[in-house]
Amino acid sequence: MIGIIMFFVALVLLLFGFPVAFTFGGVALIFGVFAEGMDMFAFMPFRIQSYMENTVMMAVPLFIFMGIVLQKTQLAEQLLEAMGKLFGSVRGGLAISTILVGTLLAASTGVVGASVVAMGLISLPVMMKYKYSKSLACGTICASGTLGQIIPPSIILIILGDVLGIPVGDLFHAALLPGFVLIGAYIVYILIVTWLNPEAAPAIPHDESMGSRKEQVLDALKAIVPPLALVLIVLGSIFTGIATPTESSALGGVGAVILSLLYRQFSFKMLIDSATETVKVTAMVFAILMGATAFSMAFSYTGGDAIVEEVLLNLPGEKWGFIILSMVAILVLGFFIDFVEIAFIIVPILAPVADMLGINMVWFAILIAMNLQTSFLTPPFGFSLFYLKGVAPSSIRTMDIYRGVVPFILLQIAVLISILLFPDFYGMG
Amino acid sequence: ADGKVYRLTMAETWNANFPIFGDAPRNMARIADEMSGGRLKITIDSANKHKAPLGVFDLVRSGQYDMGHSASYYWKGKVPNTLYFTTMPFGMTTPEQYGWFYYGGGQSLMNKVYEPFGLLSFPGGNTGNQMGGWFQKEINSVEDLQGLKMRIPGFAGEVLAKLGAKPTNIASGELFTALERRTIDALEWVGPSLDLRMGFHKIAPYYYTGWHEPATELQFLVNARTWKKLPDDLREILRTAMRVSSYDMYIQSYHESAENWATMKQEFPDIQVKTFPESVMKAMYKANQELLAEKASEDPLAKEILDSQAEYLAKARVWTNISDRAYLDSLDNLED
Amino acid sequence: MFLVNLEKTLGRYSLFLGRVSAILLLLLLVNVFYDVLMRYAFNDVSIAMQELEWHLYSAIFLLGIPFGIQVGSHVRVDLFYERVTLRQKAWIDLIGTLVFLMPFVLLVGWYGIGFAHEAYALGETSGDPGGLPARWIIKSVIPVAFFSMAVSGLAMILRCINALRGVSDAGFDTQSPQH
Ligand code: NA
Ligand code: NA
Repeated sequence: MIGIIMFFVALVLLLFGFPVAFTFGGVALIFGVFAEGMDMFAFMPFRIQSYMENTVMMAVPLFIFMGIVLQKTQLAEQLLEAMGKLFGSVRGGLAISTILVGTLLAASTGVVGASVVAMGLISLPVMMKYKYSKSLACGTICASGTLGQIIPPSIILIILGDVLGIPVGDLFHAALLPGFVLIGAYIVYILIVTWLNPEAAPAIPHDESMGSRKEQVLDALKAIVPPLALVLIVLGSIFTGIATPTESSALGGVGAVILSLLYRQFSFKMLIDSATETVKVTAMVFAILMGATAFSMAFSYTGGDAIVEEVLLNLPGEKWGFIILSMVAILVLGFFIDFVEIAFIIVPILAPVADMLGINMVWFAILIAMNLQTSFLTPPFGFSLFYLKGVAPSSIRTMDIYRGVVPFILLQIAVLISILLFPDFYGMG
Repeated sequence: ADGKVYRLTMAETWNANFPIFGDAPRNMARIADEMSGGRLKITIDSANKHKAPLGVFDLVRSGQYDMGHSASYYWKGKVPNTLYFTTMPFGMTTPEQYGWFYYGGGQSLMNKVYEPFGLLSFPGGNTGNQMGGWFQKEINSVEDLQGLKMRIPGFAGEVLAKLGAKPTNIASGELFTALERRTIDALEWVGPSLDLRMGFHKIAPYYYTGWHEPATELQFLVNARTWKKLPDDLREILRTAMRVSSYDMYIQSYHESAENWATMKQEFPDIQVKTFPESVMKAMYKANQELLAEKASEDPLAKEILDSQAEYLAKARVWTNISDRAYLDSLDNLED
Repeated sequence: MFLVNLEKTLGRYSLFLGRVSAILLLLLLVNVFYDVLMRYAFNDVSIAMQELEWHLYSAIFLLGIPFGIQVGSHVRVDLFYERVTLRQKAWIDLIGTLVFLMPFVLLVGWYGIGFAHEAYALGETSGDPGGLPARWIIKSVIPVAFFSMAVSGLAMILRCINALRGVSDAGFDTQSPQH
């Protein structure tokens, strides 16, 4: 019960606007010490150490650095503008480009913090420059940034494979089509929105200086080459086995610095400034993780996990009722506990029931992964939302972000339902 | 005995619902509860709750938890002599090692290592012989080990490094991609039961038989202050519960491995099961003995443990040969 | 004036940590690049260099957090905060720092000392062949970072007091750094 009260208290206190990380930490401390005594916090160094030794998270500073260098050298801006122009009169070109860039990042990392922040740095300023609706821009970035969860390689799929006893390769394979359908749904949504409301995502205005169509295409190609080379380095190094996905993020960072040299944008000041900015953003991401780990510690050590277990054990024992209620339960829990906890605590409770009901476990795993991806987007505790807020200019308000993600959450739920209803289409019948 | 209920907490290194490994402490807790008529209650927290899979030693030592379930060799970086109480390359088989622990002086040597840290350690269940790992290329000679990038942590990695292999750290979440893309050439995991879940059989053709972990023994850790507080009968109940559940885990592992092996051979007939050639085994054995001699020369307690193991192994192996091996050999070719 | 100067001095310490983190980040890039290059091109792997990666990475984020407090880069839910006056912001930050931030970072820092000391007392090293020795060094970054957060927190308290006394509103005009 304490866990539930703690959750709502944190919710209210967050609204006052004190930094999220320390509000979580402080609330955890007050409730934890009150219920269990100070000694619970002796666990904190161990919890922090588990982040320190989690080398997959190293992608966070490294990809952020790559994003910041690309931004400072204007290479990212040129890429997105060029892609936007290439789509020509298509409104929403920048948003679609953002989704495509997000897809490429997703294919090289499964760490949401790294993707959302890098995307926020790379494309938010450009979309703002071209007067995109704030909420559309924010929603697009948050949603694209979470694609790393479903597009392999993905941490959540690896964990689910482990928990459910399914080979990781099978899950990676099965996740591809749902991932592409989701990306397609995002793009279709952007096209519809910009058709209904041209103001939301204006086309990059055409002026004479931009030259003929042919010149535009050439310009676009020129602008695309350097960042594309970078993407090829990152993805290529993973694909050829030169580097692990995490290491590829460092190659991306080094590659970005080399590009800045080639394009005469390099200076030591730029390098140090980029590193300093990276530290600020990285610290923001990890402070939230530190606060959240304290919060989840207090939640589980005061009996929160037991309550959740009990609720789940009372789910109905008939196929559709079970699936629908377990999906709703995961979605709701995703509002306030992190996906690792869900994978390790909730999924093992559901798995034997699913097995008994003859449910295809790969299908079940993909449903859960899609569902957990959504939990990164759901206000108020969606980590993507915090991360984007942390790098957004102050003209972007929390409300813009909340409003922006709602349609994308609905899209994800729609795709989730389509996987539920048409497993055969997704090859998981 | 008084009617007081003793409630102990236990941290395990494994995540919730981890098969076999996680069954041992749960069986232990159930047996202790029933034998004591409910006077000994043990609750178990998994790694996903305490977030310190490799911090169990510290958590039990400091008294944050009364007990732990883990493996002794994880503490090698903290207390070097803990290395010897899990399994050793070219070492004893499971029955031989249990003989050493319970009747051959192993337990009292383990006490000698753990006591200074306010801890008691007991055998905690055995996995049986572990497989040597998944390889992208065949190992036909010692030269093939040169520059072989393999994920193989701990002492076994040290042995291979002596022969020119390159032990490599890869986060477990990235192992599959790393082996598939040949960022590394080989890796060792556990055995058929857990390896198949990782899907390694789909990306690497060769599955080598084991040499480095012939009898991996897990461990129950108990905080010495907790132990002291328990009345005599509960201590005996706890000791019995630990011993029975350990033995049971060994049998369960044996059973599951047999089942999984059968399934694997049936579903994935393409997996090529290999044994290292004699020249490679000899080189590894030599490197192993050299490393052990080094360790023994550095620390008197290490020497005492290694001597005890070597002596026991020599004696027990004669019996193993004349009993199990002779029996199995005599069955060969019966069908011809 | 004393409080304003003290605030600046404490602030300089946090900025110094930010500088250290930034340099460690560049070293991390070089470190990972070197490891990939050596493994792929020269078939050589150094466990020590591989472990140095996570040593650097964790020092970066841990030492970066106090720096982030100083420069105000920690994210806030601003549904309400953006609409209030400077004085009200100062009150929110003052109370938040005293009730949430300070107790949290001091308590974690305190337990961090025991954690690092344990590694020192045991002479803990890496358990892997050729790994880095002296685990206590990286473990002691935890208490150092959390006590540094307390230093940044103290600077934040002074900043709020100075703003409430009306002597300086530094720090409140530059919330949420821009990129
Ligand atoms: Na991914
Ligand atoms: Na959420």
